[in-house]
Amino acid sequence: MLVVLSVALMVVDSRFDLLKPVRSQMGLVLMESYWITDLPQRTWQGVAGQFGSRTELIAENEKLKTEALLLQGRLQKLAALTEQNVRLRELLNSSALVNEKVEVAELIGVDPNPFTHRILINKGERDGVFLGQPVLDARGLMGQVVELMPYTSRVLLLTDTTHSIPVQVNRNGLRAIASGTGNPERLELRHVADTADIKEGDLLVSSGMGQRFPAGYPVATVNEVIHDSGQPFAIVRAIPTAALNRSRYMLLVFSDRRTPEERATEAAIAQEEADRQGASHNQVPAAPAPAVPAGAPQQPPGSPSATPAPAAGTAPAQPAAAPAQPRRQ
Amino acid sequence: MASTRSRNGWAIWLTFAIGLLLSVSPMPQFMEVFRPMWLALLLAFWTLAVPGKVGMTTAFLLGLAEDVLYGTLLGQNALILTLITFLVLSLQQRLRMFPMWQQSLVILVIFGIAQLIQLWLSALTGNRLPTLALVWSAVISALLWPWVSFALRGLRHRLHIH
Repeated sequence: MLVVLSVALMVVDSRFDLLKPVRSQMGLVLMESYWITDLPQRTWQGVAGQFGSRTELIAENEKLKTEALLLQGRLQKLAALTEQNVRLRELLNSSALVNEKVEVAELIGVDPNPFTHRILINKGERDGVFLGQPVLDARGLMGQVVELMPYTSRVLLLTDTTHSIPVQVNRNGLRAIASGTGNPERLELRHVADTADIKEGDLLVSSGMGQRFPAGYPVATVNEVIHDSGQPFAIVRAIPTAALNRSRYMLLVFSDRRTPEERATEAAIAQEEADRQGASHNQVPAAPAPAVPAGAPQQPPGSPSATPAPAAGTAPAQPAAAPAQPRRQ
Repeated sequence: MASTRSRNGWAIWLTFAIGLLLSVSPMPQFMEVFRPMWLALLLAFWTLAVPGKVGMTTAFLLGLAEDVLYGTLLGQNALILTLITFLVLSLQQRLRMFPMWQQSLVILVIFGIAQLIQLWLSALTGNRLPTLALVWSAVISALLWPWVSFALRGLRHRLHIH
């Protein structure tokens, strides 16, 4: 009887969403056990923090200060570059780079099954986490949220055998798909032509295709390219840049969750504003073409004489809001 | 008698709670394969010791809890644990008479069968596990059986759980 019941449960759980709330409510109570088993580690860290010697703390402080200085320095340049990027994109009349919001989450548990790469984090549905949300650490993409519970959620890492992510080579924009291998230090690029321009040391960044991961985040560095004449494709192996099995703190990315239609409408409205301003300044010939993406409900504003903008699809670091691209008039 | 029974029933549930904790406690990566099946061990002991109290329903509920913890399909571990309890219950009369090493052997066989079914279910649901390494945990559990058994027997006699 119970066997039949459990088989029925399994079928229902795999085919329908019916049991999701049950599972998440049970998770609310049971996930505390991950927290409890993590307690010794936590207390140890607390004790180490309490009794850390003064010199150690001073040394750490120094180190952090230099690091902060370095990062600040880089950031100064970044502001200028971002500004420049925005201006250039305006010239190209493509959608603006979306500034993603992030939230810090902490690792609370690792999946006990050695054959899957999943972790638990301490942010859940109540914190605004959603299914499929990308997760980063300080060095690169880690994975995506696959299961939600009220105060915790489960993250599938890039290296799980069931996970694949669309990437592109940062150097030349070559697109590929990086699949997990079950080894925490290895991703494999599937179906890369033998003649493709890819070599050791290339940085792979997320390409933003598939609409799941935001574009432009580092994913892995290529460490091995094997050309075997007996194989139809080159074998390309890469090491994830994120410390998948070492990071304790990670970032949840809240990128644009609006539908393409909403984004398009907003882009069009912004464009209209810009046009009006441009008209009041009387710079007629340089007025950019209005953005009328697919599905935008309202009619295009004036200035039909403008030249069609080139497609922005060839830029290596494409923004996440790709659907709001301009169309020829 | 009834009062003592109801008074010490909590001990059983406490061991199960500890078993749940042990089954998710962090371990070094290379040792994950060898993680013993704590819940199955505890269930096997308590079904042998107090079959009136701990049975297939308990196994089913604990299995559901484990499913939620592991994020597997709801019912997968429930099925496995129910099956283990069923096999232990059906061999109960003989198992009680066996010396410890023979009990261990029977436990090994039962857990091995359960793990093979686990492997099969995982393959069926698409989360294919690459190897038969899953059976290692059955071996480790069988090796741990005498110790778990002795420890729990001591607890049982001290608390007079019948």
